[in-house]
Formats: sequence, structure tokens, C-alpha cells
Amino acid sequence: MEEKNSCAQGRSSQKERLYSAAHRTGTDRPPCICPGGMMNMISKESMELSGCFWPEAHSDPEKMAGLAVALNRAGGFENYGVPFCMTVEAEAMGAQVNMGNSLAEPHVTESPIRGPGELEKLKPMDLSAGRPAAVLAAIRLLKKEQESSGVPIIGNLCGPVSLAGTVTDMGVLLRTFRKEPEKAERLMDFVAENLIAFGREQIRAGADAVCISEPSGTGEILGPRFFEAYSVKYVNRVLDALEVPVKIVHICGDLRSVYRQLAGLHCHVFSFDSIVNISEIKPFLEGKAVMGNVNTHAIGTMSADKVGTLAENALSKGVDLLAPACGLPVSTPLANIQALVAAAGRVDSGQA
Amino acid sequence: MKEKETLLTQLADCVLNMEDEEAAGIAEEYIEEGYPAQEGILSGLVVGMNQAAELYEREEYFIPELLICSDAMYNGLDVLRPHLPRSEGEKKRQVVIGVVEGDTHDIGKNIVKIMLEAAGYEMVDLGRDVPPKSFVEKAKETGASVLALSTLMSTTMGNMEKIIRMLDAEGIRDQVKVVVGGAPVSQLFAEKIGADGYSENAVEAVKLIDRLMEA
Repeated sequence: MEEKNSCAQGRSSQKERLYSAAHRTGTDRPPCICPGGMMNMISKESMELSGCFWPEAHSDPEKMAGLAVALNRAGGFENYGVPFCMTVEAEAMGAQVNMGNSLAEPHVTESPIRGPGELEKLKPMDLSAGRPAAVLAAIRLLKKEQESSGVPIIGNLCGPVSLAGTVTDMGVLLRTFRKEPEKAERLMDFVAENLIAFGREQIRAGADAVCISEPSGTGEILGPRFFEAYSVKYVNRVLDALEVPVKIVHICGDLRSVYRQLAGLHCHVFSFDSIVNISEIKPFLEGKAVMGNVNTHAIGTMSADKVGTLAENALSKGVDLLAPACGLPVSTPLANIQALVAAAGRVDSGQA
Repeated sequence: MKEKETLLTQLADCVLNMEDEEAAGIAEEYIEEGYPAQEGILSGLVVGMNQAAELYEREEYFIPELLICSDAMYNGLDVLRPHLPRSEGEKKRQVVIGVVEGDTHDIGKNIVKIMLEAAGYEMVDLGRDVPPKSFVEKAKETGASVLALSTLMSTTMGNMEKIIRMLDAEGIRDQVKVVVGGAPVSQLFAEKIGADGYSENAVEAVKLIDRLMEA
């Protein structure tokens, strides 16, 4: 745990290290982060440590911030990140959400519209109420904490295709991409505008980085043509409208069919699934920092030693930021998260 | 009057070429000519769906294309099915499919269902966000050969194991094959929880279940 809050000892603060790694300007060692949002970092143990539990921590700013801080303090990931799910935006647009319980994250149970044609029935997100306001309040609390801790704050946004495929049925949306592109684009425009507004408020509240995760707008599902026309286009529209030091994009699934499209993403950091081979994808990510990609099932179930070895393997293949490849299971032992962070701590780039 | 072969090719092409609005019309024409419904399904619509699956395997088609192909297939099926002779041959094998509790992402599950249906399985679709208990009850009630479990979220994968443990507890684990799939799921995970198989995509899922049924 020697790395914890080490700015006082003349080494990089966690925030400085994230910035340098994201901009590839040289770091003493790679940071070990987990953004939050779809990339879940919360575990049962961190809830018990903080006394802040799901589902309350999804709606209560103090519990949300408390949970984020507790994990970092315990030698967990070197960032704060909120919210802890992908339902905040959809709920604010009118979706019904089951808030889950202490072990299951919230999920949407009913979409507000049946298809992109019903766009006018969708509510614009009210950022001054409900869970969007709770997320913003939590970020403000984390900003205060940051004054002494130097820990970077990552705000999370649901990817535009994933959000559109949540407020309406994903199958309907995919058919509309092909059969009625104008209708699909009007929905995507609306979704992007709302994400931009939410992202801007997250930044104003104190987010140092914004992470957009696309579990549904993937190469596997869409193929190269629609990945370019919808995922890349609308992720970029959101990213371009946000002024924030670090922009992270995570795309799920096998990316082989869309390697060529990835260069067009306007992010500093690109994160991907563990089935993607780091050495294979790196040439397609020139100019971007590579984040990842330790298998989350392994982190959740294997011994701490084994997790350390997997982390070293990812580092040796050249990740600039060490991170889980997806959201962590809630049952993940804290010791395994600590082992991941410790592996990043053992890297000596000779620049310290 | 059109030849049967011509109409069968047209049915297949409707599915393959995503002409979902034309499929019903051609199926009606096929029936009006007095050709057998069963053959229209197996040698027409299903052929087209299998060709679409080949394009998917070659990465020329992706999920939007497969969904529209399947719309064409179902539009044709709606017309042909009422003309099938009653109680034809042996009973089809049943597959109970669903997205496990905690998750509502069902695109993958729907594609697997479509491909298994085209392959001749009778599908019992429990939908999404399905509690473990419902899978087990449905397996008992139907005597299904296969239980197919899907999830996109790593946080809900635990429910797959729970279902298998419940089948154990009910003493019916050896009566039903359990297959798992979804983005965070892997062969390793499938083995660890004691599932009978994992497949990476819908086409592989059909091969996997065919294999398990032969064994």
C-alpha cells in the first residue's frame, strides 16, 4: 500500500499519473484504475468497509461518494468513479428501473418507447432532480475529498447506442438503423444531446475524466458499417462537446471486425474486453493510451497471486493503464483488487 | 402457375435478402399452388436463414441483418404453419431459453432462439430478467432437453451457477443439458460452474446443442 496518497512523498499523485498515462507523456509507472459505470469496481467487501450499500448508494450522494472513497483508501483502484450502473440516463428519460439489491446492480425493466418513431414521448434528462442530481452531488463531494487525496474523479456516461437501445428495444433500434436511418438518427441526436448535457455537468461538478462505455454499440453486434455510422459518430459527438482532461472509451466484445474504425474515436484512452489481444489491437490504436485488460472473471475468482501474474502479463504486453477488462463481479475479493494495484506499483519505468 | 422449386428459392431469397415485407406474399402464393407447408419451411425459409447464418459467420452480415432476415422467416412461418398436418412425426426437442435475472439485454438470446428454431428445436422463451426458480420450474414442467442461459452483464453471471445448483437440488440435473452464453461468459466459466457447454455465438450454439443431443 506504499502508493496510497503518495503525492506527499514526491512521487506523482494518482491524478497526475492518470493524466500522464492518458496523454502518454511518461509516468513513474502505469496507474491501475477502474472507471465505474458499466466498468463496475464495487464489491461486497468495499460496501462493508464503507458502510455504504447498494441499492441506496445509487441514489444517495453521500453513500455514493463514500463507497467510491472507501475502495480507493483500502488500496483499491487509483481513482474515484460514479455512478455504479448504466441506468441513470435511461431512468431520467422515462425508463422503469429495478434498483437491484446489495449484490445486483440496477437494471432497466421497461423501456419508455417502443421504437425510434415515438421519440416525442421521451423525456429530456432533468439534471436537477433524481439520480442525475445525486451523481453530480456525489462528484462535488469527491472533489472536496480530492483536495487532500489527489485521487482523480471519473464521471461515467452510458454509450449513445447502448442508451438508445435501452430507452427503446435494442432489436427495434438495430432494425431501424438499417431500414429507417433518418428515424434512428433523430433518436441518436436526442440521446447524444442529453449525454452531452449530463457530461458537461459532471465536469463542472469536478470530474477529471469522463468514460463512455458501449456494451451494445459494438463491432460484434453492429458490424463495421453501422459501428462507424452510429457508435463512432455519436461517441465522438459527445466527446467533442466535452472539455475534460481525460476522455476514456470502452467498447465491449471482440473488436476484430472494427479495428480500422477505432482510430477514428476522439478519446485519449481506449479500453476493451479481455478476448481482445493487446498486441494485436495496439497497432490500430496509434496515438491513444491503451487501457486494460485483465479478465474480470479471473479477478473475481482466482487467487491474488494469479491475479498479480495476469496483471503483469497485461503490463508486459504494453497497456498504459492497468484495468479490469469489464465490470467486476460484486463478489470480487478486495485482496485481488489490491493485487492488481500492487502489480502496477511494481513497474519501474526508471522515470520516477 | 409457378414451379415449386421457383417458389422455394424465392422464399429462401426473401429471408437471405432481408425482404421481410415480401415473405408472407410468397408463402401465400406457395400455399395457393397447393405445395406442402412442411417443405416450404424446411426447403425454403430455413434454407434462407441458414444462408444468412453463413454470411454472419463470414462477417458479411451482423446482428441488424440477421434480425431482419429472421423477420422475413417468421412472416413466412406465420403463413405456412397453419397448413402443417397435425401431429406430424416425432415430437421436437425442447429448449428453454432466457436471460438470467438482473439483466435485460436480450439481443443475443433472441438470435440464438431464432437459429435454434430454424434448426428444428421447439423454443420455450422465458424472456429476460428471469429468476433462477422460473428456469428450474419450466425445465421440470416441460421436460425440456436443454436449458439455455444468457447474460451480458458480468455481475449477473452468478445466477447461472445458482440455476445449476437448483437443478442439482431438485435431482433433475442429469435430465437436462445446460448451455451458457453472453459477452462475459467463457468456456472456462462454463466448466467452472458445471454447465454442459458454452458457445461464442448463435451459429456455434446450434452446433453445440446438436452435439449434446447426439451424445
